[in-house]
Amino acid sequence: MPHQSTILAFCCTWCAYPAADLAGTARMDYPAELRIIRVMCSGMVHPDLVLTALEKGAAGVMVLGCRPGGCHYRDGNTITLARMEMVEELMEDFGFDRRRLFVGWCSAAEPDRFADMVRRMSARLERLQGAGEEN
Amino acid sequence: MAFRIAAQWLHSCAGCEMAILDTGSRLLSLLDGIELVHMPLLVDNKYHAPDRPPEEADIPPADLGLVSGGVANREQLELLQAMRRRCSFLVGLGTCASHGGIPAMINSWPLAEGLAATYENIESGTPPAAGSIPAPLDRVYAVDEKVNIDLLLPGCPPDPEQIHQVLTTLAAGTRPPARTGSVCDRCPTRRHSMADRPQVRRFVEAAAFDPDRPVAAMPCLLEQGLLCMGPVTAGGCEHHGAPACIGARAPCRGCYGPVAGQGNQMVAMMNILASHGLDFRSVVDRRAMLRFAGAHGLLRPVKPK
Ligand code: SF4
Ligand code: SF4
Ligand code: SF4
Repeated sequence: MPHQSTILAFCCTWCAYPAADLAGTARMDYPAELRIIRVMCSGMVHPDLVLTALEKGAAGVMVLGCRPGGCHYRDGNTITLARMEMVEELMEDFGFDRRRLFVGWCSAAEPDRFADMVRRMSARLERLQGAGEEN
Repeated sequence: MAFRIAAQWLHSCAGCEMAILDTGSRLLSLLDGIELVHMPLLVDNKYHAPDRPPEEADIPPADLGLVSGGVANREQLELLQAMRRRCSFLVGLGTCASHGGIPAMINSWPLAEGLAATYENIESGTPPAAGSIPAPLDRVYAVDEKVNIDLLLPGCPPDPEQIHQVLTTLAAGTRPPARTGSVCDRCPTRRHSMADRPQVRRFVEAAAFDPDRPVAAMPCLLEQGLLCMGPVTAGGCEHHGAPACIGARAPCRGCYGPVAGQGNQMVAMMNILASHGLDFRSVVDRRAMLRFAGAHGLLRPVKPK
């Protein structure tokens, strides 16, 4: 993946963000193109934010929250899932490949899972760009 | 000295001008304090000779300018720029001016394709020869994409009540109060829960309501499974205590444009459906949710994959 591309990750403050924090303090390797925006709950990420990020040039967007059943607000991540399924469909209207959105879950104690998701997304985008279908 | 008003229609259907006239007898009392120096619908002042380029349009100076309609061709663009030069305060009147309106639906196709499809369906069959009509722009624009606008007054058409308020407050030298909130915010229907509404249906059968009881006794139309755009549409169309369409027991079509600035009504509405657990795939034609607000680059041709 070229250095200039950016993956924007919306991480919830209760699980995904602490996992990212742990991954950092544990000095785990994950791709450097990640930029994290901390949100209270992944369920509050408005579709506009995802689409705007892609429009402004992000290679990919990740929306990361607590594992199903583990949401701090009980069902925030259910809403995340419902919204992001819809966003995937809207992405086609906007001319974006739906694989440029990654929705995933991890607990606060799973930095390895967090790092692994970022690596998988980075590899996926690299494949998409390699296939010349970045759009 | 009288307060001078100039009104120019651009890519407009004249509905907005009719709404000005619909202020009715109050317009007559207003006429004591104002002077209509330019308004093609009412005043013939030869501002624009066909053999002269439109940038030479002879629009008299005015304290207040009203432009209705969006901008779709060079002539409209130059008239808009002339209005900006000649008016100290410029108001975009109506949804076409504010958000592109219905004509901006053509932005869903590349220009050539849109024109070809349009002319295929009319008698002459072929687009007019180049030069015989003003050259089209690449798409339909809202007026604030082209010049600075001091106030946008959306609505298709805007409520005459609001037009009257804007005219009187501006003529009195003050700013009209800012409008906030959505159609839902001003809707009196009964709201309960969307929980048991898995799908949205089209408005081909009437809503459930009791005609003998007031709108406030009717269950919310969105909760009835009808696609009501109230949550994502700017409020301001109330008559007799209910948004105009809701009062007629019909769902809101979104004619006042987005609630905030250049919000995307389609994305916002799809978000509401998805977050409340409705099947967003049951919406037949989601791009039609931008039928009133497709300018600002919101409606555009789908990129081929
Ligand atoms: S906003 Fe509506 S009434 Fe006004 S010009 Fe446009 S289509 Fe006509
Ligand atoms: S969705 Fe429609 S019917 Fe329901 S409250 Fe909003 S405007 Fe009223
Ligand atoms: S209810 Fe909606 S569509 Fe009807 S007049 Fe009001 S804003 Fe326009």
